[in-house]
Amino acid sequence: MIRPDEIKMSAEESGKWGMVIDQDLCTGCQACVAACSMENNVPFVGDAFSPSNGEVDINYGRSLHWIRIERFWEGEYPEVKMTPHQPMMCQQCGEAPCEPVCPAFATVHSEAEQLNLMVYNRCIGTRYCGNNCPYQVRSFNWRDYERPEPLPNQLNPDVTVRRRGVMEKCTFCIQRIHKAQDAAKAEGREVADGEFTTACAQACPANAIVFGRIDNPESLVSQLAHQGHGVKHLEELGTQPHVTYFKGG
Amino acid sequence: MTESKVVDILAVFADIGPAADALDQLRAMGIHDECMNVISGVPVTEAMLGRPAQHTNVPRIALGGALLGFSAGAFLAFGVPYMYPYPIQVGRQAPISGPPSVIILFELTMLIMLLSTFLGVFLDSMFPNYRPMKYVTEVSDGKIAILIECPHVEEKKLTDALKKMGAESVEPAEAQHL
Amino acid sequence: MSDNKHKAEHSHEEHLREKHLMLDPLPRGRMNEMVMESMMEPPTWKFWAIIVVLAGIVAYGLVYTWAKVIAEGLYLAGINRPSYWGVFIVNTVFWIGISHAGTFISAILRVFKAEFRRPFTRAAELMTTFGLIQAGMSIFMHIGRVWLGLYWLMPYPNQRMMWPNLHSPLAWDVLAITTYVLGSTMYLFLPLIPDLAMARDRTTGWRKILYKTLALGFRGTEGEWAHLRNAMNIFAFAIIPVMFSVHTIVSWDFAAATRPGWSSTIFGPYFVVGALHSGMGAVIIVLAIIRSTMKHMKYFIRPEHFDAIGKLMLIISMAWAYFFFNDYIVQWYGGDKWTQILLHYHEAGPYGWMWFAMLIVNVAVPWAVLWNQKWRSNPLIVSIVGFLINIGMWFERFIIVPVTLTINRAPFTWQQYEPGAEMPMGIGTMAFFILLYMLSSKLIPLIPVWEVEEGQMAHEFKKFGRETVVSVSELE
Repeated sequence: MIRPDEIKMSAEESGKWGMVIDQDLCTGCQACVAACSMENNVPFVGDAFSPSNGEVDINYGRSLHWIRIERFWEGEYPEVKMTPHQPMMCQQCGEAPCEPVCPAFATVHSEAEQLNLMVYNRCIGTRYCGNNCPYQVRSFNWRDYERPEPLPNQLNPDVTVRRRGVMEKCTFCIQRIHKAQDAAKAEGREVADGEFTTACAQACPANAIVFGRIDNPESLVSQLAHQGHGVKHLEELGTQPHVTYFKGG
Repeated sequence: MTESKVVDILAVFADIGPAADALDQLRAMGIHDECMNVISGVPVTEAMLGRPAQHTNVPRIALGGALLGFSAGAFLAFGVPYMYPYPIQVGRQAPISGPPSVIILFELTMLIMLLSTFLGVFLDSMFPNYRPMKYVTEVSDGKIAILIECPHVEEKKLTDALKKMGAESVEPAEAQHL
Repeated sequence: MSDNKHKAEHSHEEHLREKHLMLDPLPRGRMNEMVMESMMEPPTWKFWAIIVVLAGIVAYGLVYTWAKVIAEGLYLAGINRPSYWGVFIVNTVFWIGISHAGTFISAILRVFKAEFRRPFTRAAELMTTFGLIQAGMSIFMHIGRVWLGLYWLMPYPNQRMMWPNLHSPLAWDVLAITTYVLGSTMYLFLPLIPDLAMARDRTTGWRKILYKTLALGFRGTEGEWAHLRNAMNIFAFAIIPVMFSVHTIVSWDFAAATRPGWSSTIFGPYFVVGALHSGMGAVIIVLAIIRSTMKHMKYFIRPEHFDAIGKLMLIISMAWAYFFFNDYIVQWYGGDKWTQILLHYHEAGPYGWMWFAMLIVNVAVPWAVLWNQKWRSNPLIVSIVGFLINIGMWFERFIIVPVTLTINRAPFTWQQYEPGAEMPMGIGTMAFFILLYMLSSKLIPLIPVWEVEEGQMAHEFKKFGRETVVSVSELE
């Protein structure tokens, strides 16, 4: 039962963690993609091919990146213009379409962090969440990917290694959030703005990605987000995404 | 008249008409409806034979099943969301949301109702039953058999009467393995 | 003069008798014999050859390929991002659709006392049960971790006290399909009991043991019939809403999602009608094959039955066209950017030929053929139409699932879908269906003899003035 006064049109009012991405700063260097894969034990699809059409998996929509750099072209040939690079990852929707469709509660909303959680152990791989994600930022483990030596030594012990048959997606580096919270709690204080950040934001050489508390008006991320010309992707669907994009500012 | 012996006879008739007439005459002879049973290969209704309506619990059991199913659905829809130590939120839907609850209530009501209807047939007919029973295989060829199990009647007299009523065969009924 | 008239009347009666099974009664014993003979006729080498071929396809498609997919992962199939669902789901919807015909014939036609249903209710109901087995398998083929799928989807808590998410259309599906599988199997079994008892009385050896066990000790006493009649009545009424709910809920898997082309409010009835469309086509194929291959079946299944189902097919085809047009035009007028792109992709994309073929075989062909009573009474012609409709309905589901999934609101991910291991596995389900049907035709009396006899008892000629007409009494 939702009363009219409970309907919130923008995510800031409900969210906790958020991100701002300035597409004008993004150079498309893919450092965030690499950093994310390192941090989150995302396997390398490599040159595995899809038997159904002999196409390399990565060209057949089977990449496993949690973040990707999208590029588009505008206009008709020969007047073609490339649009700014668009890093795309899970938007951590406040009202996520992927959540209610999972029959196994494998993707649920975190009350504490206001994030969209993915519980690998409960995932049975119906892939309904992937279908229902308007941003198409969920990836499926089509197989058990090889991790040749010495790559296993690089695995992040804070993140589960997924097996074949489960969905996965960007978590806003929830392991880093927890680590920072634990450290702050041990010292009896709040987590300070900028004390930690996500792997992608950390790796971005152009500082195009800023991460932090959007419920704190003092934080860098909420000040940036309130600049005015930010957009949220597919906001018209009512998904209440927590990532704000800037372009042509 | 021997008091101790129960006369046990199975008479086979070719059609509904003669069988119904025979039942009337048997009743006139003082044989109670409860001592007779009709076995047929098609559903011959009690009204066609002029017999008292059969008591069946199937609709009641089905109704019971429907109520049970509705309660099971209500438990799933309204009880389960409160069994978690913390609320599980999906897509900011209320833990108890109307439309899905309707679906769950409907499906579980129907499921358990259908299961208990099926079970009802088993309970009422005492299926499965592999003990020897009084039966003639002509029944599944469309004949109608009247099974009389009655004390206080002379066997000879009854047999003759049944033959006169048009029975194709009148034999002492013996329980046999089907 | 009057003699001629008498003759003409007589031949009119003869004509009706020839046409309608219900007016052409045989003694029950003879019908039992015919059904038993058709069932126990020793199979020819051709029968065994087909069985061996089908078993081979099942072994390759269902056993080997599926085992490989489970062991190595779903990369063997053609699904990708954004087409996370592919031919597995197409086949699921297809088989559930096929299964709807059985319930339609044995429940709706029973409730409305359509007498022509009598000889083939069982053949259709058997299709329902076997079709649902294939549908269930197709769902599990598509699940990423199938070894957890079944028991994590059933509504009971796991070891961490988590219940399934009953907000999910897939959880509704589990409940609906479970209800439907159990319901239709019980509904297949109840009217079968008297025929199993009949078979028990006429067999020896292992068959005797089988039928004796399955007939549960049924004799046909008044009480047994009363309980059975009551139960069948309850089933006939109750299984109709269950049938509608199943395919409606299947359609909600799509309609409840936020996808252009899926989020359509008319999907429920559209899917139900589509299910009946393919189901009727499948029933008619099955009946044509039974009639031409099994002994004595020409007596039980006659051109009148193809005529009757042909009429239903024509009406359902019109209803399907109506729903398709409704779905299409509303989305098109809606003018949503993504939907516009999607609809264009449907018609002009690489699978556009499917879209046009679907309209031709689902609408144009049935309308062109089935209006003619002579054509629709011909088993060969109607079963060809039925076959084409089934292909068309498979195309329809293919367009709704992977083709629609190709276009989404994230153009960066657009990727055409090409089926992989789905195809051998899908063909495996088809082979398994035919295999089950062929084997069961040797084990289960396909004609409900007691129902046919009951119908023949109810039919008689009646004179209205000079005309002889058919009159049906209500026995139940």
